[in-house]
Amino acid sequence: MIVPVLHVVAVAAILFFMGLACILARRSLIMILIGAEIMLNAAGLVLVAASAYWQRIDGQLFVLFLMAMTSAEVSISLALVVYLRRRQGTVVADDFRKMSG
Amino acid sequence: MATILFYILSAVAIVATGFCITRRNPVHAVIYLVQGFFALAILFYLLGAPLVAAWEVIIYAGAIMVLFLFVIMMLELAPDDPLPGPGWQRWAPVALLALALLVCSVLLLAVESGKSGIPPYYASPRTFGYALFKEYALAVEVVSFQLLFAAVGAYYVGRNERGRDPGGTP
Amino acid sequence: MNDLLLFTIPLAPLLFGVVNALCGIRLPTVVVQTFAVCGVAISAAMVLLLWPLATGEGTQVILYTWAESGTLQVPVTILFDRLAAPMALMVSGVSTLIHLYAIGYMKAERDQARFFALLNLFVFAMLCIVLADNLLLLFLGWEGVGFCSYALIGYWYGEEKNAAAGRKAFLVTRVGDVFLGLALLWLFAATGTLSLSAINAQAAALPAATVTAIGLLLLLGACGKSAQLPLMTWLPDAMAGPTPVSALIHAATMVTAGVYLLCRFFPLIALSPTALAAIAGVGAATALYAATCAAAQQEIKRVLAYSTMSQVGFMFLAVGAGAMSAAMFHLFTHAFFKAALFMGAGCVIHLADGENSIFNLGGMKQRSPYLFWIFCAAALCLAGAPLTGGFFSKDAIFAALAGHGGWFHLGLLGIASYTALLTAFYTFRLLYLVFAGSGASETKGHHLPVLMLWPLLPLTVLGLLGGLLNLPPIFGGGSWLANWLGATASHLPAAQEWGLALLSLLLVLSGWLLARWRYRNYRAGAMEGRLPEFLRLGWHADSLVEKLVLRPYRYLARFSSDGIDRSAIDGALDLFAKAILAWGEYLRLVVSGRVSHYLGGVAWGLLLVLGWLLLTTVG
Repeated sequence: MIVPVLHVVAVAAILFFMGLACILARRSLIMILIGAEIMLNAAGLVLVAASAYWQRIDGQLFVLFLMAMTSAEVSISLALVVYLRRRQGTVVADDFRKMSG
Repeated sequence: MATILFYILSAVAIVATGFCITRRNPVHAVIYLVQGFFALAILFYLLGAPLVAAWEVIIYAGAIMVLFLFVIMMLELAPDDPLPGPGWQRWAPVALLALALLVCSVLLLAVESGKSGIPPYYASPRTFGYALFKEYALAVEVVSFQLLFAAVGAYYVGRNERGRDPGGTP
Repeated sequence: MNDLLLFTIPLAPLLFGVVNALCGIRLPTVVVQTFAVCGVAISAAMVLLLWPLATGEGTQVILYTWAESGTLQVPVTILFDRLAAPMALMVSGVSTLIHLYAIGYMKAERDQARFFALLNLFVFAMLCIVLADNLLLLFLGWEGVGFCSYALIGYWYGEEKNAAAGRKAFLVTRVGDVFLGLALLWLFAATGTLSLSAINAQAAALPAATVTAIGLLLLLGACGKSAQLPLMTWLPDAMAGPTPVSALIHAATMVTAGVYLLCRFFPLIALSPTALAAIAGVGAATALYAATCAAAQQEIKRVLAYSTMSQVGFMFLAVGAGAMSAAMFHLFTHAFFKAALFMGAGCVIHLADGENSIFNLGGMKQRSPYLFWIFCAAALCLAGAPLTGGFFSKDAIFAALAGHGGWFHLGLLGIASYTALLTAFYTFRLLYLVFAGSGASETKGHHLPVLMLWPLLPLTVLGLLGGLLNLPPIFGGGSWLANWLGATASHLPAAQEWGLALLSLLLVLSGWLLARWRYRNYRAGAMEGRLPEFLRLGWHADSLVEKLVLRPYRYLARFSSDGIDRSAIDGALDLFAKAILAWGEYLRLVVSGRVSHYLGGVAWGLLLVLGWLLLTTVG
């Protein structure tokens, strides 16, 4: 027993909301994606902690799936960033407002 | 020993992430993030997940972040980020919101779980492999398909259209 | 004898009518005409053949059950009794003659298949009314004749005037039909059955007020079909149809359907003195009204139309006086001579090449002496000249009124006498104007086909000798029709009877002398002046209807359309739509298209969820 589980989850929560803040505050698509990565890692930390807490391997397996999924997501979203940059010459999220109602 | 290490590494991860999200230069941000991920990897190891720790370094820090760096450099965003960094006006409400959320969730957790600690745990690669390929074989297949589709999708989105569209924007 | 054969009477015209309607356009005209005549001739032959079935209590046959639901049973039932049999014979017989006449009359027309199909359908529907025991079947026939009348009045629908006349007839008679429908529903509610014979059998058990109300509703229904006041405006306009149609539908059969209906319900109606008085009143008023109008008309067919209205008024008067046999007697003789008159008028118009104003006709006696004698004989019947059928039937009505006594019926007798005088006057006026003198239109015109001439002969003979049907005892007859119908013939003292006959004779004579004095050598053309104009326009009935019914209705329709529909309902809907639209404009702001806004929304939502969770957990 190294630390109380609450402390691990608290760290994860801090990381998670920092990632959320990054997504909300930054306007560059790259930084928004980075914020998403931070949040995903926070989720991974909770999963690993849960795995240790319940003495079961499943949490760690889910981190593996999480990573696989993240790499898929990142590859596609970065490809989209490149594509948008090519088409519109910008990576600022607020410049894309063709969907305005 | 491990407990002290946990708090130090947590502080490192949080500070690194904090620097990461506030940097104007995306290259700096990515470097800070890599640092945070290293700290996180050791946290994983401490929590009894050596394999996940290794992947964190290899896949996240090594592959994904390098991909970010690659894209940043390819798009030449690093030398002159056209954006003025987000100022106080933009950060203040976001920080408040994030803080409120954090307080909410921590309070919620404190009410729920109390003070019980995490027992020492170690998942050997053998256990991991058995569980992965026996219980979750179908999930592995699904995820691998997803990766394949992602690769095809990324290729399709990022393909060079110059062959069809001469004079298109680079 | 198989009772079911009775159904061939209405079904034969239906069969040939449907055949003509479906494939008449591909058949040669001769075949179409043969089919049409066959349909009605078979009916007439079957009525004669099956006549024994009508004796005694009559015969009731069920073909099949049309509809049933709970206590409501609608079997297709025929009641072939002492009332229906002669009526069916008259309808099918006169129809046969008129069909033959129509072949000659319509020789040059297109669309003969449509004409003959509709004519046959009409006969089918009319026979349905005559024979039906089930009230729903009767109503089917009632609406069927209405539709055929509409379609045939508008036969030359290419001209707006004709189509409008058809519509008018349809709509005005529909007003009456609504009341008839109400009466039938009420009867069903009161008695629980739709069978006519059953209703008549238990009529005495109904409350007096119900009987009176139903009788009045039946009267209104009959008024629509029989062109009685106040639903009479359609009949003069209905003359826009071909002459055979006028002869068949608007003289001999359909307009008398109202009288027949009242006779059919006579056991019920006779229970209510109020209803009888109303019927008599309506009949007398219409008779007088129409006679005055007929005396001022300019078109030959409109004269006859008003006289038809007037004569049907006499029939109503007879029913109202409680003399059902007299009503049926007058119905038969009138059918014969009026059909002959209409067909004669058709011949006259044909000879004069479409000229139908009596002031432009004239000298027809030289053109066709045969036609003159036929027309003259039929006109004498109409005028009620002694020893013709019309004389006896009119006399029977007078006798019924006189036998009743009381100031009301004597007053009606006075009106009827005056009307008879007018009838004689306008009849001889018509005769003098059309046949006397030397015609102005001698050079024009056509030769008359044989088929247009000889069907008039049997009808005229029937009209002249119709009195034999119901010869009163003082003339040595046995009142055959009254006995056959089982009615209690009114037995006046012989002196009174002779007095009435003398009165009739005097009325006819004075009417004739008046017309002879006025119109023998009349060359002045149409009369001018307010009174003739007033009478010619039917006492301004049309403009009265326009003012009292159509204009308020139009205002109401415009108010409903502009005031209620467009302003209120559409306005409310528009307002609602505009509110939604405005709200949508505001809602649109939410969809800013900025990713950061959406993400912010997600975060605020997350805060909401977490906060709520915290509250519930702590609380």
